[in-house]
Amino acid sequence: MKKILCATRGGEASIRTQDAVIAMAKKEGATIVFLYVVDVEFLRLTARGVRPDVVATELERMGEFLLAMAVERAAAQGVEADMIVRRGPLTQALEEVGQQLGADAVAFGRPAGVDSSFSLSDLEKLAARIEEDTGIETYIL
Amino acid sequence: MQRSRFAILMGLALVIIVGMAWALSPVWAQEAAVGSEQPGPGVAGRVIDPLGEPVHDADVIAVGREGQPVAETTSQGDGSFLLDLPLQDYDTLVVEIERPHYVSREIPIDPAALAELNSAQAVRLPAIELERRITPGFWVATLSFVLVLLLIALEKLHKTTAALLGVALVLGASFVGGAINPDLFIFDFERALSYVDFDVIFLVMGMMIVIAVIEETGIFQWLAYQSYRLSRGRIWLLVTILMAITSVASALLDNVTTMLLMTPISIQIALTLGMNPLALLIPEILASNVGGISTLIGTPTNILIGSYAGLGFNDFLINLTPGVLASLLGLTIFIVLRYRKSYAAAGGQLSDAMRQRLKESGRITQPAKLRKAGVIFGFMLVLFVTGDAFHLVPAVTAILGAVAMLLWVSPNIEEMLHVVDWTTLVFFIALFMAVGALQEVGLIGIIATAIGNLVGGNLVATILVLVWSAALLSGVIDNIPFAATMLPVVAYLTRTVPGAESGVLWYALSVGAAMGGNSTLIGASPNLVTAGISERAGYRITYLDFLKVGFPATIVTVIIGTIWLLIRF
Repeated sequence: MKKILCATRGGEASIRTQDAVIAMAKKEGATIVFLYVVDVEFLRLTARGVRPDVVATELERMGEFLLAMAVERAAAQGVEADMIVRRGPLTQALEEVGQQLGADAVAFGRPAGVDSSFSLSDLEKLAARIEEDTGIETYIL
Repeated sequence: MQRSRFAILMGLALVIIVGMAWALSPVWAQEAAVGSEQPGPGVAGRVIDPLGEPVHDADVIAVGREGQPVAETTSQGDGSFLLDLPLQDYDTLVVEIERPHYVSREIPIDPAALAELNSAQAVRLPAIELERRITPGFWVATLSFVLVLLLIALEKLHKTTAALLGVALVLGASFVGGAINPDLFIFDFERALSYVDFDVIFLVMGMMIVIAVIEETGIFQWLAYQSYRLSRGRIWLLVTILMAITSVASALLDNVTTMLLMTPISIQIALTLGMNPLALLIPEILASNVGGISTLIGTPTNILIGSYAGLGFNDFLINLTPGVLASLLGLTIFIVLRYRKSYAAAGGQLSDAMRQRLKESGRITQPAKLRKAGVIFGFMLVLFVTGDAFHLVPAVTAILGAVAMLLWVSPNIEEMLHVVDWTTLVFFIALFMAVGALQEVGLIGIIATAIGNLVGGNLVATILVLVWSAALLSGVIDNIPFAATMLPVVAYLTRTVPGAESGVLWYALSVGAAMGGNSTLIGASPNLVTAGISERAGYRITYLDFLKVGFPATIVTVIIGTIWLLIRF
């Protein structure tokens, strides 16, 4: 059975992406693995003592919660899905998880306008790099 | 383990010995000075600047017949000097005073005073005022500081790097430029270090260790979950409880830590209730920035103000807490009205499995550690409150609490020192030096005089100018450097504005700087870290999103805060 790896967060834009991946998986008879990547780079914005390890643990819990919502959404539409939370840079996490799982495809959500953290060109570069490094097909949905 | 504890105890003993030596050194120095005093002719005096502030390290030279120097000294920290003159007949004597960034002065000693000197008596001169001089060093220090503010505001450099760059420019101008043009000299390294407030450094460091232990226990998450449970789906009640929790936690611990740990679970609660998380997060941010004002340790600006002005934990508690409570009440009403549609539209409960997940996220993860840490923190609060009575400064209480945490709760010294954010401490050290450079060259005096002239000695006008300028500026520039810069200005205004001796202007600065941080997304650290986490959950807080709520909320809270200050003082 095919496996689609989908990096996701939460929010309305992510829900659209999740729905698109679920539809794709249903069509191709694939299973989905939702991935949430924890990075605490934003902590550099504060000049106060904070514990990145504790914050990262909290973000992991939040990520598991967001992914569990996505898994429930997939299950409600009859698609089998699993979830993985990883720490570290996004590209590295995607490549490692994709290869470990033997994923057939990696899916990303198309940037949702000005509210998105990524631009479309950044995302296209990321997708191209993953294809080049791992040979896994990528989709921007 | 035993060796580790022994090392900690030895370290503690060393800290106490060094601290006592540091505290007693002025006394010893004074005793030594008194002991060495010899009877004989001398000229004593005090050097002040146009604001009446003492001028230290001024070169004071007594010049006798034919321009020959007969004695020289430098002015002390309080501006005083004593020229010990050799026994001889003086028919002419001039006291010359020189100091970088001031116009030099020559004071001729009158014949009556010369007669006293000739009979081996000392004479005292009236206070000697030195006029300020705008030097190239003035522009280097000023432009360096503006550059630091811009680099921080535009996020071009990490704020610690930016502050260090400012110090490097100032010291570079002093040592390298000063060799080419003496007017580029600002201060030497020893003088730069004297501006560093080590009370602040030790208080921040101690609290970092204490908070680091408490934050891993899960207490914040448990409190947030209990709010959700208690509110039973009534979102206005949930928001009210969450705002109360974040404000109290911010006052007692730290508002950045509070928001870092409350945000992930608040997002989960919001999603469980089927509402946009921003409608929970933004009110929590606003409450955390306001709540922190009520204690000395609640905000970095209060720590700076408390240490500089000698205000204790109780001073903030008594003089600001009622105003903070009133502001929080006003803020809560504003929030409930502002978000009433979002709260009413919430719906779509998640499955039982998701609610169970939320419950898991909201549990206390280390109950044993929490009990011990709670006991220590309770004692710390008692010491903060009662410490004023026996001159126990808050920095010592924080260090004692940190050491107690190390000995009893979390004895891994390496792990605990790892959690101390040295970049933050270096930021404070560099900031103190950069602001010290502004004091050296006279910019602070110019600002103080300008504000003094603007308010014309009217206390109410001074309070209004301070609160509102601090509030508006804190929305666009980092409020920590802003508050650090304003400390000597407020000290001058407190001395010169009639009625300000009550200390009201310190509280005005505290209220303005902290509440002003709510006006924009970049106004305070809790805003930025919350936005960072929220974005990682797919809910981006844009500058405009925040401004739409934060700016009117700032107006509401600052009005209430101002009214409180006017009533209280």
